[in-house]
Amino acid sequence: MPPVESFPLKYLGAEEVKQLDTRIRLQYMIDAAMFFLRAGLFTALCVLAAAGLISDLGLQWPLAVLNELAGGAQLVRYDHLPPEENEECTYQPIADALGPLAAAMPLRSALMQARIAQGFTADLSQREPLRMIRDPYAAYSAVAVDNTNNEVVLTDENLFNIWVYDRNAKTAPNASTEPKRLIGGLNTKIEFQCGLYIDPANGDIYAVNNDTIDTLVIFSRKAVGDVAPDRELHTPHGTFGIAVDESAKELFLTVQHDNAIVVFNKLARGTASPLRVLQGDRTGLADPHGMVLDTRNNLLFVTNHGSTHQVRPSSPGTRRREEIAGWPLTRDDAVPGSGQILPPSITVYPKDAAGDAAPVRTIQGPKTQMDWPTAIAIDPERNEIFVANDGGNSVLVFPAAASGDVAPLRVLKGPKTLISNPTGVYLDQPHHELWVASFGNHTAAVYDPMANGDAAPIRVIRSAPPDQAVPGLGNPHPLAYDSKREQILVPN
Amino acid sequence: MAHPQIAVFASSAKGGARPVRKIEGQGSLLGRTMHGIAYDPIHDEFTVPQQFGQAILTYRGAANGEERPIRIIQGPHTQLDAPEHLDVDPVHNEIFVPTRHGTILVFPRDGQGDVAPIRVLGGPETLLGSDEPLAVDAVHNLLISGGRLGRGQARLLIFNRADSGNTKPKAVVGGPRSGLNAFGGPFAVYPAKEEIIVSVRGTGPNADMSSDEAYVGVWSINDNGDVPPKYTIGGPKGVLRMPRGIALDAKNKNMLVSDKRLNAVLTFHFPEIF
Repeated sequence: MPPVESFPLKYLGAEEVKQLDTRIRLQYMIDAAMFFLRAGLFTALCVLAAAGLISDLGLQWPLAVLNELAGGAQLVRYDHLPPEENEECTYQPIADALGPLAAAMPLRSALMQARIAQGFTADLSQREPLRMIRDPYAAYSAVAVDNTNNEVVLTDENLFNIWVYDRNAKTAPNASTEPKRLIGGLNTKIEFQCGLYIDPANGDIYAVNNDTIDTLVIFSRKAVGDVAPDRELHTPHGTFGIAVDESAKELFLTVQHDNAIVVFNKLARGTASPLRVLQGDRTGLADPHGMVLDTRNNLLFVTNHGSTHQVRPSSPGTRRREEIAGWPLTRDDAVPGSGQILPPSITVYPKDAAGDAAPVRTIQGPKTQMDWPTAIAIDPERNEIFVANDGGNSVLVFPAAASGDVAPLRVLKGPKTLISNPTGVYLDQPHHELWVASFGNHTAAVYDPMANGDAAPIRVIRSAPPDQAVPGLGNPHPLAYDSKREQILVPN
Repeated sequence: MAHPQIAVFASSAKGGARPVRKIEGQGSLLGRTMHGIAYDPIHDEFTVPQQFGQAILTYRGAANGEERPIRIIQGPHTQLDAPEHLDVDPVHNEIFVPTRHGTILVFPRDGQGDVAPIRVLGGPETLLGSDEPLAVDAVHNLLISGGRLGRGQARLLIFNRADSGNTKPKAVVGGPRSGLNAFGGPFAVYPAKEEIIVSVRGTGPNADMSSDEAYVGVWSINDNGDVPPKYTIGGPKGVLRMPRGIALDAKNKNMLVSDKRLNAVLTFHFPEIF
């Protein structure tokens, strides 16, 4: 059951409304059953009363029940009350008049009273908005497959759910795909989960929050609805990608804001410190996003959008945030004026790289066609890497051994592919399938890993009927109004 | 957030509307953590910070797709550390950018490349915090900045627009009666009515994500001290959950507010504030 927060129904998403509708139908069925039960009891007691059996036996409770079933206390007459002494119309602040209700809304009533004291009496706080731009459907971000349980898992950065589908789920031509279950709601701490890992041993779901909660949440595969995570790990601000080295039991996270990679014990929780950190001028990390481990060759591949700056330890007492021991240097340690906006890249490191280690090689340059490369996956059999190329609306395939300004081996792109702002990519090796999550069109699609060009997917999962418009909002923060064109500017 | 962009919607857009245009992609030079955007109606430009690359990017008003900025302020002389918020004064041709270390840098609006700020406001007397939102009232020559005395103790600091150095604010709004808990995001000024319009985060166990105590409050540029808002919009106990940025459509007397938890942009018709 998806979470339904306490805002009006019209602000809920389509799936939320659907689930809420199910709840309401259930409640109707219960109410109907109770009605017939009460009606039957009422009829039986009426028959007994009419036959005089109840009075004859001297029983009072059946009459009380009869009265209750008939609706309880009933008005038989009314009288005017005498006027109280000194009665007059007096001004009473609305907050006082609300009584217990006001106590339930302390801030609102406090502000109201403060305003009244200032001479303002209008409370306009409950005025409804004229309109709202809000996508009612899930916007998929990251994707991973649970091969043990034959499920595919998707994060959703619009309605803030983790969606679990059957891996072979069928989608009707004009419909959305039916999920097996959802995890979402305030207790889950799920919001902008941009990285995803499924534990192959037990199906545990690791979902990385980007920059609103600073918490990696871990759920068992049995988690459903608005449940607390089974485990949480406090993380540096701005984590994005995740990779796990199962042999070493190590968990890797990229940190966008700090141009760093932090490595934790896989089972770390709470405020555990990282085992090691990769950060520094020589690393080439520049707004790192996705990450994948090549366990055969003990390498770590990282995609970078290209923005970077230098960091140096700042003076004690000048930090904005409390940091955990061993965390990377943060924006508080940024060297002013050292920023650069470089071309995108894939940087490759030894798996155990730490400190200010340089990459062993870098894929970068105009031939690569990289444009905001985001998630990355590897096919260790064919020794190829797959890159979700967000800005290019494509998936790029390179040899894992590529270096420098190289053209991709294959480019999956075009209207038939249904790829639009792809932010998630996953290679399902056992089934030889490539999954791509598109933030730009409510779609996750499956391809042959050898697909090239404008190839149609083998099958799709959709959160919305096809061709629904996509606002593409994701953590909208500032706004501007273009008064010349009468348009609203909304950065993510 | 997986996908950076600036989406542009028609003012009448609602529901799952498609943007009329989007600025996105490598060529745009955009990055994440754009917590400020300013549209300049005089020069038909808009300006955003680029935090990770320590830059200020200005685009033509009709920019679309993977379009490069027309000007970039970036380099060692800028003193930019992690620009997150900003505002543009199109009348006096200045860009105001707070830093993470309690200063506000002021650049020429048409600055290009590695330019030094033309003045810097900062020091203990200013009460400036770390990279707080700000807004400029070009009519009354005021600079209004966020300040923070501690957690849950947000303050509006009102300076003269041209103040520099270690200058005290001319007024400070905040305190327990004010309802100013923490800023939700960048605020707006409406000089014609001498108003400051501020998104205020709520409190409660999940306040980092959502709170029904959140609201947008309207204060006056003439306020000083522990003054409550003249109006609250969208709450407390209203529709807002985590209000962020605010923009004003004065022609239609609408206030626009973004909300992180709703992942939405809401338009309130609010003639009272115009």
